[in-house]
Amino acid sequence: MAASQLLLEVLALGAAYALVALGFVLILNATGAVNFSQGDMVMAGGFGAVLLGNALHVPGLVLLPLLLAGMAALGVVVAAVAYMPLRRRPPEAVFISTIAVGIILQNAANHLFGAEPIAAPPLLGAGRVRFAGIDASVQSLAIIGVAVLLVVFLQVLFAHTQFGRRLRATAQDREVAMAIGIPVDRMVTVTFAIGAALAGAAGLLLANAFFVTPTSGADYMVKAYIAIVIGGWGSIPGAVAGALLIAAFEVLYPSLPLLIPPLLRMAQSDTVFSQTTSTIVLDVAVLVILVARPRGLFGDAVRQRP
Amino acid sequence: MPMMPWRTSLARAGVGLPLAVIALVVAAIVLPQASDYALRVLSAAGIYALLALGYSFIFGQAGALSLAQGTFMGVGAYVSGILAVRWGLPFDAALPASVGLPVALALLVAIPVLRLQTHYFALATLLIGQIVLLVVTQWESVTGGANGIGGVPPLALLGHAIEGRLPALLLVWALVVAGGALAWQITRGRLGDAFAVLRTHPVMAGAVGIDPGLLRFTAFLLSAGYAGLAGSLYVHAIGVLSPDILGFPVMVTCLTIAVIGSRLRIAGAIAGAVLIIELPEWARFLRDDYLLAFGCILLLVVVALPGGLTEAAERLLGRFWTAPPVAPVVPVRIQPRALPARGDALLRVAGLGVRFGGVRALDDVTMELRAGEILGLIGPNGSGKTTLLNIITGIYRPDGGQVWLGGRAIVGRKPHAIARLGIARTFQTAALVPEMSALDNVAVARDAACVGLRQALAVGLRDGPRARARAEAMALLDRMGAGQQAAVPAGALPPGVARLVEIARALACVPLVLLLDEPAAGLNETEQAELARRLRRVADDGVGLLVIEHNMPFLAPLADRMACLDHGQLIAAGTPAQVQADPAVIEAYLGTPVAMPT
Repeated sequence: MAASQLLLEVLALGAAYALVALGFVLILNATGAVNFSQGDMVMAGGFGAVLLGNALHVPGLVLLPLLLAGMAALGVVVAAVAYMPLRRRPPEAVFISTIAVGIILQNAANHLFGAEPIAAPPLLGAGRVRFAGIDASVQSLAIIGVAVLLVVFLQVLFAHTQFGRRLRATAQDREVAMAIGIPVDRMVTVTFAIGAALAGAAGLLLANAFFVTPTSGADYMVKAYIAIVIGGWGSIPGAVAGALLIAAFEVLYPSLPLLIPPLLRMAQSDTVFSQTTSTIVLDVAVLVILVARPRGLFGDAVRQRP
Repeated sequence: MPMMPWRTSLARAGVGLPLAVIALVVAAIVLPQASDYALRVLSAAGIYALLALGYSFIFGQAGALSLAQGTFMGVGAYVSGILAVRWGLPFDAALPASVGLPVALALLVAIPVLRLQTHYFALATLLIGQIVLLVVTQWESVTGGANGIGGVPPLALLGHAIEGRLPALLLVWALVVAGGALAWQITRGRLGDAFAVLRTHPVMAGAVGIDPGLLRFTAFLLSAGYAGLAGSLYVHAIGVLSPDILGFPVMVTCLTIAVIGSRLRIAGAIAGAVLIIELPEWARFLRDDYLLAFGCILLLVVVALPGGLTEAAERLLGRFWTAPPVAPVVPVRIQPRALPARGDALLRVAGLGVRFGGVRALDDVTMELRAGEILGLIGPNGSGKTTLLNIITGIYRPDGGQVWLGGRAIVGRKPHAIARLGIARTFQTAALVPEMSALDNVAVARDAACVGLRQALAVGLRDGPRARARAEAMALLDRMGAGQQAAVPAGALPPGVARLVEIARALACVPLVLLLDEPAAGLNETEQAELARRLRRVADDGVGLLVIEHNMPFLAPLADRMACLDHGQLIAAGTPAQVQADPAVIEAYLGTPVAMPT
């Protein structure tokens, strides 16, 4: 069944995007600033997976814990270098410093790995399984599984541990959190670590099917950014919903001629329904959303006082 | 570290001059025997200087992080290159199109720019860049796709091709000088001051009658125009058109130049461009990894040297030079508005309600303010007093109800439009531009409707409109008793004086109605008495004053009438004595019903 297959593809891609967007929005809430290196963290995770895969020759799922730890460490470094010195300055300073971090990551990767696309190892294997009439790739299923696992883990962390409550308090109101004795700086550093780990996981998940190049982060950055804008600035469920929406659009738009055969006979149908055109249409759609609703589709999650 | 800001402001004038002299001397020595290659790099530096000069309008003056500056440059390059190769149009003849099209593109996307917050604006500009890049690489028949187009002819002027490297360099740098002079003319006067207010406190800008949208719009179009010119020069200088110019690295280079050179300094944009573009030449090992180096430099400067190199140099110079005494400004009285007769209703709010999420911040509030009257507004914290001010001044839109100024309904108008109609206000936390003098903080609010690009271009060397605004501001400062501190930067003023300067600035809007949010906070008793006396004099001129205050000893004798808000509702109104004795008011403040002694 083509429809259920497409749905599975949407879910797999959306799950990976959701991890990137989640990392982005967690850091946004904790610092009030955009982390522009989030996309390049995905790229770093992809190359990390390649590196670990080459050294250990084990499936991606075994690499995941190692990769998460390594990326968390990278997140701590980024927090220390690009956020901590700027925490009392306007959020835009962090925006710029993380642009710099992204550029550094990109060019370091270029120096180390070259510009050619490389594939990371699959999570379990390259096979396909059939169940209930659906022919699904193991990789897609594994991506969904890993993403769900990570999100559940985060949910438990945030909702049911003292540590998670402190993280949330920090995100909600830095000043008050500081006043009641929460070590805010440490919480922000941990948030950076989590954000980087999530991006790294997404890098592992995505770099098998889509390969990784030093410049592939920019795309993920834009998508996470769009997901947050669509889902409501600062909203965590909104970020996931936004990511799924983008994935659905990206998978379904180029498949429109398959779903609606008359479109195939349209002039230049392969250009009109290409991946590139899909990106252009998405970008224009987001611009239209911004024009029509300057605070995103669902509005800011937080209302600011002037 | 608190600097002596007057020293900085002196040095500000000083840094550009020594830099220009050094540049000229070095150029005179180096240029005659420079290689073709070195000349080419120096031309590229000039082109990036123009790009960064343009970027300093939107990123520096307006304080908005645009990520489309590289895109505008690319569009200029493509327009100029395609016109030259396919239509045989030389550089200068194509200029209207190669500058005009980026400006038109900016115009198209400026609609969201007018109101977007920084992070949305950054995304919008990022998306524009992505769209343009994709369209250019796809549209092969016109743009040459990913391969680009070769054989773009060299620069030409009035029918003469400019063949040699040195003449090309001189043309580029002549344009840099012209572009720098234009940027200076635009930002040196009242428009520059208005930009300073916009970027330090956008909400406040609207409250003194500055139109923030128009200012951002102006800055955005100017940056696009400069970028278009830079792109056009670029494509003729290197002779090939390639989609590389639309890539993010160009934007990063531009951002690095702006940050390292100091984003508000014309000399900084130019010096930053020379430094950044020449850097890979000076440090040869960087040539393949120059972007890596730019990234590190950008990070380092943002973290360690927030103002950039030019401002750091100014601070250094400021240590060695002392400021010349500021020439005293002779005060000039402002022509007052024709005010309605005393006792006429000026401002009326009726049935005003607003809800934030689940909280009813204001509920069916109706009150009026008469000419020449001082109305005190009290109520516990969170009772909706400041929200009421924010609705009257157009910052919030009410869910229901109406506000009339005279006979005019004003709900739905923009804050700056409301300010121009005659409603001025102060904020709970004083919002002045710290590096501007007290005098200029007031002067910027004089006739804010007459501050714009056209006026800035028309101004002569002796800036007449600014001199008049300063003279009138001086009169207002004197009137509020802060005239002695006119030349002090607002950041160095004691809190009490900052309050007075803020009120003087509100008066500079020549208001019919003046709304004051806790004006006595931070003042000692003598200062409070002095302030009360001065506010009474303002009211005696026929202005209606609405004063939010918790300080009863200050407010009760000052107010003609008083009103009390609690949980968004008006619970009492009348003379100060009546309101203070009202059981509901006492309960609102103390939390328990109190039996009143009879």
